[in-house]
Amino acid sequence: MTDLNIITLVSVGAHPTSGRARRAEQDARAVELGLRLAGERLQLLHAGDPREETLRAYLGMGLGEMAVLEQPPGADALPVLADYLRHAGAQLVLTGSQAETGEGSGMLPFLLAEQLGWPLVVGLAEVEKIEKGQAQVLQALPRGQRRRLKVRLPFIASVDNAAPAARQSAFGPARRGQLQASEVAIVDDSLLAEAQLQAARPRPKRLKVIKAKTGAERMKAATAKASGGGGQVLKDVSAQAGAEAIFKLLVEEGVLR
Amino acid sequence: MSDIIRRDPRAEWIARNRLHPLHAAMQKAETSWMGPNGIVRKNPHAVGFIGPNGIKRIDRSGAQQGGSGKRTTASAVVQLPLHVIEQPAFYIAVVPDMIGGRLSAHDKDLLGLANKLAGSDGAVVAVVFGEYKENAFDTAGVDRLLHLDGELFDGYAPEQRILALGAVESQLAPRHWLLPDSRTGGGELGRRLAAKLGERPATRVWQVAEGQCIGRAGAGREDLVRRAPRLILAAVECAEPVSDSRHEVRPLELQGKIARNLPRIEDLGAVAVDPALIPMAEAEFILSGGNGVKDWTLFHRAAVALGATEGASRVAVDDGFMPRNRQVGATGTWVTARVYMAVGISGAIQHLQGIGACDKVVAVNMDPGCDMIKRADLSVIGDSAAILAALIERVAAYRQAGERDAA
Amino acid sequence: MLNTLLPILLFAALGLAVLGAGKRFLMWRRGRPAKVDWLGGLLAMPRRYLVDLHHVVERDKYMSRTHVATAGGFVLAALLAIVVHGFGLHNRILGFALLGACVLMFVGALFVAKRRRNPPARLSKGPWNRLPKSLLMFSVSFFIATLPVAGVLPADFGGWMLAAVLAVGVAWGVSELFFGMTWGGPMKHAFAGALHLAWHRRSERFGGGRSTGLKALDLDDRQAPLGVEKPTDFTWNQLLGFDACVQCGKCEAACPAFAAGQPLNPKKLIQDMVVGLAGGSDAKFAGSPYPGKAIGEHSGGPHLPIVNLGGKALVDAETLWSCTTCRACVEECPMMIEHVDAIVDMRRHLTLEKGATPNKGAEVLDNLIATDNPGGFAPGGRLNWAADLDLPLMSEKKSVDVLFWVGDGAFDMRNQRTLRAFVKVLKAANVDFAVLGLEERDSGDVARRLGDEATFQALAKRNIASMSQYRFNKIVSCDPHSFHVLKNEYGELGGHYQVLHHSTYMDELIGAEKLNLGQHKGGSVTYHDPCYLGRYNGEYEAPRAVLKAIGIEVKEMERSGFRSRCCGGGGGAPITDIPGKQRIPDMRMVDIQQTGAELVAVGCPQCTAMLEGVVEPRPQIKDIAELVADVLLEAPAPAKKPVPAKPEALEVH
Repeated sequence: MTDLNIITLVSVGAHPTSGRARRAEQDARAVELGLRLAGERLQLLHAGDPREETLRAYLGMGLGEMAVLEQPPGADALPVLADYLRHAGAQLVLTGSQAETGEGSGMLPFLLAEQLGWPLVVGLAEVEKIEKGQAQVLQALPRGQRRRLKVRLPFIASVDNAAPAARQSAFGPARRGQLQASEVAIVDDSLLAEAQLQAARPRPKRLKVIKAKTGAERMKAATAKASGGGGQVLKDVSAQAGAEAIFKLLVEEGVLR
Repeated sequence: MSDIIRRDPRAEWIARNRLHPLHAAMQKAETSWMGPNGIVRKNPHAVGFIGPNGIKRIDRSGAQQGGSGKRTTASAVVQLPLHVIEQPAFYIAVVPDMIGGRLSAHDKDLLGLANKLAGSDGAVVAVVFGEYKENAFDTAGVDRLLHLDGELFDGYAPEQRILALGAVESQLAPRHWLLPDSRTGGGELGRRLAAKLGERPATRVWQVAEGQCIGRAGAGREDLVRRAPRLILAAVECAEPVSDSRHEVRPLELQGKIARNLPRIEDLGAVAVDPALIPMAEAEFILSGGNGVKDWTLFHRAAVALGATEGASRVAVDDGFMPRNRQVGATGTWVTARVYMAVGISGAIQHLQGIGACDKVVAVNMDPGCDMIKRADLSVIGDSAAILAALIERVAAYRQAGERDAA
Repeated sequence: MLNTLLPILLFAALGLAVLGAGKRFLMWRRGRPAKVDWLGGLLAMPRRYLVDLHHVVERDKYMSRTHVATAGGFVLAALLAIVVHGFGLHNRILGFALLGACVLMFVGALFVAKRRRNPPARLSKGPWNRLPKSLLMFSVSFFIATLPVAGVLPADFGGWMLAAVLAVGVAWGVSELFFGMTWGGPMKHAFAGALHLAWHRRSERFGGGRSTGLKALDLDDRQAPLGVEKPTDFTWNQLLGFDACVQCGKCEAACPAFAAGQPLNPKKLIQDMVVGLAGGSDAKFAGSPYPGKAIGEHSGGPHLPIVNLGGKALVDAETLWSCTTCRACVEECPMMIEHVDAIVDMRRHLTLEKGATPNKGAEVLDNLIATDNPGGFAPGGRLNWAADLDLPLMSEKKSVDVLFWVGDGAFDMRNQRTLRAFVKVLKAANVDFAVLGLEERDSGDVARRLGDEATFQALAKRNIASMSQYRFNKIVSCDPHSFHVLKNEYGELGGHYQVLHHSTYMDELIGAEKLNLGQHKGGSVTYHDPCYLGRYNGEYEAPRAVLKAIGIEVKEMERSGFRSRCCGGGGGAPITDIPGKQRIPDMRMVDIQQTGAELVAVGCPQCTAMLEGVVEPRPQIKDIAELVADVLLEAPAPAKKPVPAKPEALEVH
């Protein structure tokens, strides 16, 4: 544990199947990472409604209070957060990768970094050590891979699903915790004026379009066995032949490397 | 096309007739080649020719004559029409991920989208950093290629790359910037660029049509419909890749030097990650063992050989062969692997539920009637130990051959 | 000389006993307040002791008779000794009575000693092995000392030598049996046990009643602790209950987790609570340890946390999470101690305050909060299993006879077969029923057993609110867990219903000849009693009656009825998943296989899932509803015209 001054930005999430408000998955992971680094001295910051009960789920992870910059829904959180962070004296600001409600563009950490002039680490998985104003961190890459980076303090880091899973939120501390609201200037978000949200349309599975250049190709495409519909079963074959078939599929799918 | 070999008696005759003017063209050269294990292989049957009386003749003088090579139909490579943009009215800039130096499927979709946006007047510029191995930029739809090479861009250098893209912006002022919204770099680079340029990007876009774009919003339960902005971060399958034209791939140079920034983030290189430690929900290829696995050491060896993440059925976990966090299924982890290989797992409902999101399922089992086989795309009925051993061998051979290819 | 010595010894011991009793009483009173009927309880105590408790002890005839002789003899002897020797009332008749009592006690003590020769593993050793000697010493000493009183021997027989020996014997006897009773000796069970019976936290259990629902936490009271962190967070009569333990180990022998080698032993747990109550370490515990955990490494005190998540305290968290809440320990306990209540109380603290529900626990609770089902499935899919069944919905019918409570099995592909079978039965019997559909939520059972009282109450209150909009006569459920919670635990939150398990309801339907049933074909069948149906709600007969009606003669397992062994699926145990040496369902499957049955009938989705999780080959597992649906005959019931039960104008909520 270090004596770093760490702020984690949190938002109100939405459960992927029910859509009900909850603590956002990635934000909770960011809180977890912060708790592991700073313990109970971790500060939480939210821009939005201080009466939102869901925010207590973050306090339930073992924190006494959270600062809330009071804003109506649809206001732009960026300027008020940047303003707050500029004076907060934090060495590390943790965020999730993208919000679970609203636009969810994932731009916030990038814009904050740009406005504050701080470096940004995307996909922080672990802080290995901090010394001489520099942090050595692991960055998460797809498929569980990691990259080691050295970054100057202070910096912003976003956290995705590769970061350590968030601890359970307990009812007692959540109920006791304080949401400290403070008034800030309200800046409207221009996007919502022109864009509209609608229920997600399921994306169609891409069809295999066969562009036949010759008659024979067209014939072949038309008569070929439709893919799917029962798998291939190899029975009474030698182990070698079976292994060969499996091997072929693995190569085809590109998982052997 | 048909693979039926048709004999061409006239060609055979020409091949035998040393005096025929076309004789040399009809020779088949392949009499020796490098075998897979590095040994020179010879085809004794290809040596020599059938003489006029039907007797095989071998000419040791060195001047090989006559051919018994069978004639195959020459596969006609269809030349796609070349799409030429001499004076582009505007540019559409694409920054592909170039995973492993090649265009990924995502990149190709993105180039398809770029071509759609470019229409017949605009030119698609691909901005490629570092060395690349791709040689099909033309058919992927790249009109102009801006190759930015140099050690500056090596490794993880997003800030330096953004400086370069800033220079591209001021030189070409592209009508649109397109980047893949991927975890392999594009998503990050695109957002950094957006922050730098002060453009509000459209993210996770999966459809662009008539000036409007639709992208996923929030946790994926909603879509955001908006006017297509300059900067678009597009999802996989945002458009059909280019398939029926060739493009010039005309090289483009960046005028002026790119400023060198003081790196605030230093890349210390990749960290070796044990595939066994990759969280299962993230793993792409899972080798999962169940009650039918008797030789667990072999199973672990197979996982290492295949580079697969290990999983297990509930029974295997209960019996203590695998740790609890490796359990796949409704009561364990729900996995999303591209290939899920189930060895000795009969497929309880809970287990099948947990692998519902897997693309391809391979089953190895003794019992041809079990539920896993009904789910699997490929099933091999037989002794799992023998099959795993054979598979390890086969993969080892493949790896060896691969190493030699690279050398 | 004895005439002066004996009263001194007797009254000194009695005085010390009273002192100890006061001290012990104050120790219990460190716990939180609890409402008890002080006087009524004391007055009811003899009956509770002689009737209710005796019923439990009577299951072991040897011990019951031994105890009657020993305890009866002792109580009589002690009273008479105080009169005769204490107050010096040297009456011959009283003397003979005292002699008789001593003989009775002596005989009983001999049997106690015999049991202790080769004691079963469940019994505690240590001071408990000393007890028969003390009993014998007491009875023999008083017998000899009383002989002169009865006039059998001359008054000065034996001289000072015998007097000294007797004085030592009496001193030993009274210190064990009088003041040992209140100073923590083995005889403490008699003193604390009697008071425990008087001020029991579930007085409804006496007189043939049943009280199995967990008690609600008052979440509106911000001062009340959320569960039990330290021994003093228990209510005082719970602490008193722990002190009543006789360490007979009946609970240990019945506990499925202990048998599976999981780190739980109900007896040790209660003794650890006693250690916590008084302060100290468990080093003196003389029984079986928690499997895999050495004795002597844990210690605690009344104001120290019971569980230390980072290290060792009084009890390890995994001990608490091993419990399946099957209530086998409570059922067996001759002192009627409430183990499950204590375990859930301590779990509540871990979940509500520490956020330390192990393994999948946190995920399940999060899912319950966000999706109303433990699997995290989209709530809109709750009725997908019945898409083709055209089920009547409560929101359309408003008023029905039977509300069919589907439960979370709706999301489980295996359980959907059971549900469909039961719907088939309901339709065949022309029952006027409906389901809540998307208005139904998880009953809160798992959340509550995992200690998440807040989520339980939130779910329960919303369910109660949904149901209050409609009229129905009774609720029927295929899930004993929902059944139990709806029936016994919603009441405290304002939901009072008549709830039936589907086996009970099918029994009623068969009794009313509303079903036209064939006979079961196929092999032999055994029946597995679900804990939440049997022990929790006393329903052992209906399932068997249903099976009998379809021509099945149940091949009973050795552990069946109230001694049925848990499948391992209760109390969130499959979620917390504490490793042991073997799995509980595997052990239960061995029980099943011993009957030679080819099929086991069950009445609970948890039991189905756990038993079907056992590796084949094993007997088939089928729910009673499936067995009944299989033999339904197409033709309508011949005799009576099915009259759709009229919903009475009775508002139930």
